[in-house]
Amino acid sequence: MTDPQVIAHDLRHRREFLRAGSLGIGGLALAWLLQQEQARATPKMLPKSPPKFDLAPKPPHFAPQAKAMISLFQHGGPSHMDLTDPKPELDKRDGTDYPGEIAYSFVNEASKKLMGTRWKFAKHGECGMDFSELLPETAGIADDICLIRSMHTGANGHEVSIRYFHGGIPGVLGRPHLASWLLYGLGSETQDLPAYMVLTDPGGPPVDGINNWSSGFMPPLYQGTVIRPKEPRILNLDPPPHLRGEPQRQNLDLLQSLNRRHAERFPGQADLDARIASYELAARMQTAAREALDISQETKATHELYGLDDDATREYGTRCLIARRLVERGVRFVQLFLAGQPWDNHSNLGTALPAICRRTDKPAAALVKDLKQRGMLDETLVHWGGEIGRLPVTQNQGAPEKHGRDHNGQGFSMWLAGGGIRGGTIHGATDEFGHRAVEQVVTPNDYQATLLHLFGLDWNQLTFPHNGQIQVITAGRPAEIVGNILRQPPNAAEG
Amino acid sequence: MKLLAILLVSLIGLGNRSVAAEERHLTLEQDVWPILKAHCFDCHGATETLEGSLDLRQVRRMQSGGESGAAIVIGDSEQSLLFQRVRDGDMPPGEAKVSAAELETLQKWIDGGAATKRPESDNIGPGLGITPEERDFWSFRPIRRPDLKLPTDPLAAAAARTQIDALAMAASAAEEPLAEADRRTLVMRAYFTLTGLPPTFKQAESWLADQGDDWFDRLLDELLQSPQYGEQWGRHWLDVAGYADSEGFTVNDAIRPWAWKYRDYVIRSLNQDKPFDQFIAEQLAGDELAGAKQGDWTPDQIEFLTATGFLRMAADGTGSGENTEEARNQTIADTLRIVGTSLMGLSFHCAQCHDHRYDPILHTDYFALRAVFEPALDWQSWKPPAARLVSLQTESDRARAAEIEAEAQVVAKEKADKQGEYMLQALEQELAKFDEPLREPLRTAYQTPAAERTEQQKELLATNPSVNITPGVLYQYLPKAAEELKTFDQRIAEIRSRKPPEEFVRALVEPPGHAPETKLFHRGDHQQPKQTVLPAAPTVAVPEGERIEFPLDDDSRPTTGRRLALAHWLTSPENPLTARVIVNRVWMHHFGTGLVPTPADFGKLGSSPSHPELLDWLADEFIREGWSLKKLQRLIMTSAVWRQVRGVEPIDANGLPSTLHRLEAETIRDRMLAATGTLNRQLFGPAIAIKEDETGQVIVDGTQTRRSLYVQVRRSRPVAMLQAFDAPVMETNCELRPNSTVATQSLMLLNGEFILDQAAKLAERAIDESETLEPPFAELVLDLPSPPAPQWSYGFGYFDEVTGRTESFEPLTHWTGSQWQAGPELPDPNFGWVLLTAAGGHPDGPDRAVIRRWTAPRDSTVVIRGKLSHGSPNGDGVRGRIVSSRSGNVGEWVAHNGEAETNVVEGLAVNAGDTIDFITDCRQNQTSDSFAWPVTLTVRSEDAPERVITSNEGFSGPQAPERFEAGWIVAAWRAAYSRNPTDEELQLAADFLGRQLDTLHQNPTSVPSGRTATRQALINLCQVLLSSNEFLYVD
Repeated sequence: MTDPQVIAHDLRHRREFLRAGSLGIGGLALAWLLQQEQARATPKMLPKSPPKFDLAPKPPHFAPQAKAMISLFQHGGPSHMDLTDPKPELDKRDGTDYPGEIAYSFVNEASKKLMGTRWKFAKHGECGMDFSELLPETAGIADDICLIRSMHTGANGHEVSIRYFHGGIPGVLGRPHLASWLLYGLGSETQDLPAYMVLTDPGGPPVDGINNWSSGFMPPLYQGTVIRPKEPRILNLDPPPHLRGEPQRQNLDLLQSLNRRHAERFPGQADLDARIASYELAARMQTAAREALDISQETKATHELYGLDDDATREYGTRCLIARRLVERGVRFVQLFLAGQPWDNHSNLGTALPAICRRTDKPAAALVKDLKQRGMLDETLVHWGGEIGRLPVTQNQGAPEKHGRDHNGQGFSMWLAGGGIRGGTIHGATDEFGHRAVEQVVTPNDYQATLLHLFGLDWNQLTFPHNGQIQVITAGRPAEIVGNILRQPPNAAEG
Repeated sequence: MKLLAILLVSLIGLGNRSVAAEERHLTLEQDVWPILKAHCFDCHGATETLEGSLDLRQVRRMQSGGESGAAIVIGDSEQSLLFQRVRDGDMPPGEAKVSAAELETLQKWIDGGAATKRPESDNIGPGLGITPEERDFWSFRPIRRPDLKLPTDPLAAAAARTQIDALAMAASAAEEPLAEADRRTLVMRAYFTLTGLPPTFKQAESWLADQGDDWFDRLLDELLQSPQYGEQWGRHWLDVAGYADSEGFTVNDAIRPWAWKYRDYVIRSLNQDKPFDQFIAEQLAGDELAGAKQGDWTPDQIEFLTATGFLRMAADGTGSGENTEEARNQTIADTLRIVGTSLMGLSFHCAQCHDHRYDPILHTDYFALRAVFEPALDWQSWKPPAARLVSLQTESDRARAAEIEAEAQVVAKEKADKQGEYMLQALEQELAKFDEPLREPLRTAYQTPAAERTEQQKELLATNPSVNITPGVLYQYLPKAAEELKTFDQRIAEIRSRKPPEEFVRALVEPPGHAPETKLFHRGDHQQPKQTVLPAAPTVAVPEGERIEFPLDDDSRPTTGRRLALAHWLTSPENPLTARVIVNRVWMHHFGTGLVPTPADFGKLGSSPSHPELLDWLADEFIREGWSLKKLQRLIMTSAVWRQVRGVEPIDANGLPSTLHRLEAETIRDRMLAATGTLNRQLFGPAIAIKEDETGQVIVDGTQTRRSLYVQVRRSRPVAMLQAFDAPVMETNCELRPNSTVATQSLMLLNGEFILDQAAKLAERAIDESETLEPPFAELVLDLPSPPAPQWSYGFGYFDEVTGRTESFEPLTHWTGSQWQAGPELPDPNFGWVLLTAAGGHPDGPDRAVIRRWTAPRDSTVVIRGKLSHGSPNGDGVRGRIVSSRSGNVGEWVAHNGEAETNVVEGLAVNAGDTIDFITDCRQNQTSDSFAWPVTLTVRSEDAPERVITSNEGFSGPQAPERFEAGWIVAAWRAAYSRNPTDEELQLAADFLGRQLDTLHQNPTSVPSGRTATRQALINLCQVLLSSNEFLYVD
């Protein structure tokens, strides 16, 4: 073993020699010599380990306006011309032929007959936002929300558009959900709860199943954790009955003591400590999640606000309330899904649409009101919308009362509130029949770019290396921030 | 030593920076070219048409400038448009911006005279070409076998076992001998590295006891020869190849029923130690090697064809409703990506649209590579997956099948006729909805072939789309008819099922005589084809001035021979990439990190090698030794650096990673199955089914205990447990698995169904195997807690009114299935009517009271509540007494055709072992003495939580005494860790079992039905072992 001091001295000596030499020999020679020396030292630089991922909080690219998001996803395609996008011309020409091209999904029931809405629209709030009578409660929060009427996926299929919204490319599986990108970019505020939670419907999974919360090519760390509508509420969270309490605590104690003894032999191995810590986190999560799901702690007034006293709204209201409790506890992203696709009103529009509105309208509005009264709305983004809208023409089911509307990815509505969104705004427009988005068209990629922006992330800079390629959420597809729906225009926020 | 290393780096770093900033002369080629390439050349140099007529490829061209005038004024950056526009953010357009450092370089270069390294020629062709600087990048330089170097220090030299060690040490300043890991560690390490499975306890012991000097060589022999070797290393290769049992791309994610044949080919090839160059050639060009079919396929031909499954691994939607031009081109692009990342360590796809921004890969290089595959992967002449399966059927089987098919066709004809009828019926039914003037024209229009319809007819059908009935939507009109038509399908399927089984391979077979031209796609868009590109090797990987073109059409074979030529070039000694890429991957799987930490990116954005000479030596040695993977691995594993102790520091003295390896997802599952002794080691075959459990998690079919690499890889349905531990969800391929440590894994190991099942099985195995332990373990007696005696016991006896104590207690010995009696008969000839039930009982005469006795497990105070009831007006009822062994008679109650509350509300103090007796006697009269006396004890003590105990708790027949065997612990340790527990661990486990048993006895709900408390405690111990870090990591 050579004495380190000798080497250090030797090195100083060499450097002095080189400096001195630089007066005599050319700079090029000096550079060469130093390069040689550096080359010798190269292996001393720490080799990169395989990538490691964690949920520790990470700084955004610039000051964020939103810190958490609750998305009320409406599978199936809410009928915008019956809810949020009044079309007098359509109503006037009810029963006449649509003059242009239409792509149908159900050919056998296809028709070109325009079908006006049967529900009354009125203006609401100081901003005068239009809502049909089917959404009386949402109408009550008009001044807090921004209604986008020019959503466009260009595809009529459900899965195609759902994946476009979640993952950035129409129809393509295997990409991370929007929320996975948020987690990857920002980490988690809570270390006691999963940062990305999904609340599913007691009626069953939504269309496209588990793909709705996949982390795609990102590690499963960034995948949505499902809170099921029945026990077990979170998979693997709760011990089976016989391990509950003391027996599992004792298991953990023994495990940790074995693990610590093991780790002592490997002081250079941080991974072992991380795994010991992750068991502790798992144990904390068991308590924290149970507490977060316990809505009995909420007041009667809150229960009533969300419609928990009404059979029609209790279930969805409960989930909206749980969503707020989760965000309150530092969860970054919560998404609610409905079973199947209740907004897919191919038939019986006259009864099916009011039913699903009745179920969701009040709880959705209550969520925004509740967040606002708690001062959380400023930093919590709320999203309401489906993957497509519906056609202005009749889907023929024989008897008129059975008529419905077919798919339409060319133009539809959704709304956003809070988290830096300018309330009381209407953005974009569809054509006179509500078929195509024609003004200020917003694609799911624009939506993704805008959301990331609100969270203080530049969607082009938030990159993930995958298969030798630099991935971004929009997959390099054209996207832009929808600036005029924001309280602070992009440049001001980034500055 | 470590301190010194840091010192060295920082000193040298400082020196170098000052030189770079102050003294080195910036040149276009060295410093500015990469900046222009990343930001400017897309519009101003790489393409034939230049934006604003500005060409930035030469200083002279910058000076002559474009439409806006000169781009640079030499020596004056402020006056140079190039600098101004970039600084002001006008250029480049779009989001990407030039960094401050790059801008500074640009400025200094202009101010310093805009020097070039070489004189600029007057005429240059279009495009960027490859600069000498780019060609000089480490991975494109030829592989050069370094001279042998030995550490100067004699101690270090002695420690160097192999050339690997010499090179690893020579590259660093390390002169410290390496500490070798102990033999047990080496055995475990070797087993997991080579087979992905642990040794059994016996195997581990026999290697430890081996006296031969060559024990390690023999260990490697044995493991390299074991069939599990091919499974473990096959899994590594399948990651890179992007193996999946489903097509992906569309919602269907259709199953690939024959993909497994390629998986098995990989396992077989690795087990045979097939030379890797041949392995590559077979996968790239097996069809060309196989040649034409003559009669039945020969076994060799089948093997070659199966190998080309490699080129069929990319996600492919063209068989699941997406047979579009986009989908076909995407499949081709993904295939090239797999070829590029797996065999060349380069991601070519960036050059799909333009010259690669960072790496010297030209747009034309991409299409030259694509041209190699064009004859076989021709997007304009495309077969969907099902149409390109190669049947392995023999001629005789085929003839038999044809006969049966003819039968099936008869039914198919019936079906077609029937369908025609229904189509007509549906049409009429639909037409009935229209008024007569429309009906006939609609019918005519519909029945007119589409091509012959008049404009008017087309218009008519367009306005009334519901008339456009096709077989595909018939179900929407006549649901019942559609159902009926399905019954034909069932009949057809039944007939076809009688065919001799036909096997297929998912192969890539180039059609003979098919050599389509490859066009360069402008911006990667297949709708904008440009010039024809010939098949050739990437320019940068070929020496300056040379060009390696592959044959357009090799006359010596029916196919073009392009892929075979590519394979030969890749594995030729001149190729700088392939051998390096392969040895780096192999190294990575031995050390956790590659010498190049980015195994699929040997370009500018990847990492450079930590030990370039070592990498080159390994690559050269690999080639010299005939591309033998096994020889390479033996070489690596006999080195001192591989054999040293790990985990003491993250990096060893030579700068090599020294980390423990978290087992891969598949290995964790496999190791659990191995530990429980249920692992099924059967090799090969179709994929094992997966399913969703009631909670929606994808799981392996529960009865299947084969190795995880045989579990179906469905892209859209990853197995939850494997995915949680970072198994890839195949999108394209997996070049490098992440290694995550997250709470979801912990939850899965704490509560997941799979591990709970395995823990129970391990416990069972431990009990079984404890029977056959050898000395000294067979005789091992541990200070194990004896299970606490049952708290309730049942007897009869006599209360002494004088002493106030229970005078005698005789246990009731006969269990009837529902009650305890003195003997099988009632009344018993000797002891009469004594009996106790769960709720009450019956005394005999005055001196034979029945006694329900509670024994205190610990010092405590007891509050008693109960109700003595007697239900007959006859006789004189019964008397109940509560008698403490410590304080005597506590209370006395009588019930006659009624009830009495028997509460003792003041806490009764008892010590451990004291008894409280509930004595019921007949008073004077011996008739009609049936009684019920349920009681509840609330027990409070200092060292345990409050417990409520009822008198019927644990009321059951005779129980075999529960006891622990030390041997269980020993056997569990052996099964889980392949070693004996240490004394300390034995004690730790014994203490744990003691605590558990105590807890389980106090909480009967903690013991699932069908298990005893001791069994459950042992299962819990086993679960801890299976989820411990010693189980999940190998050092």
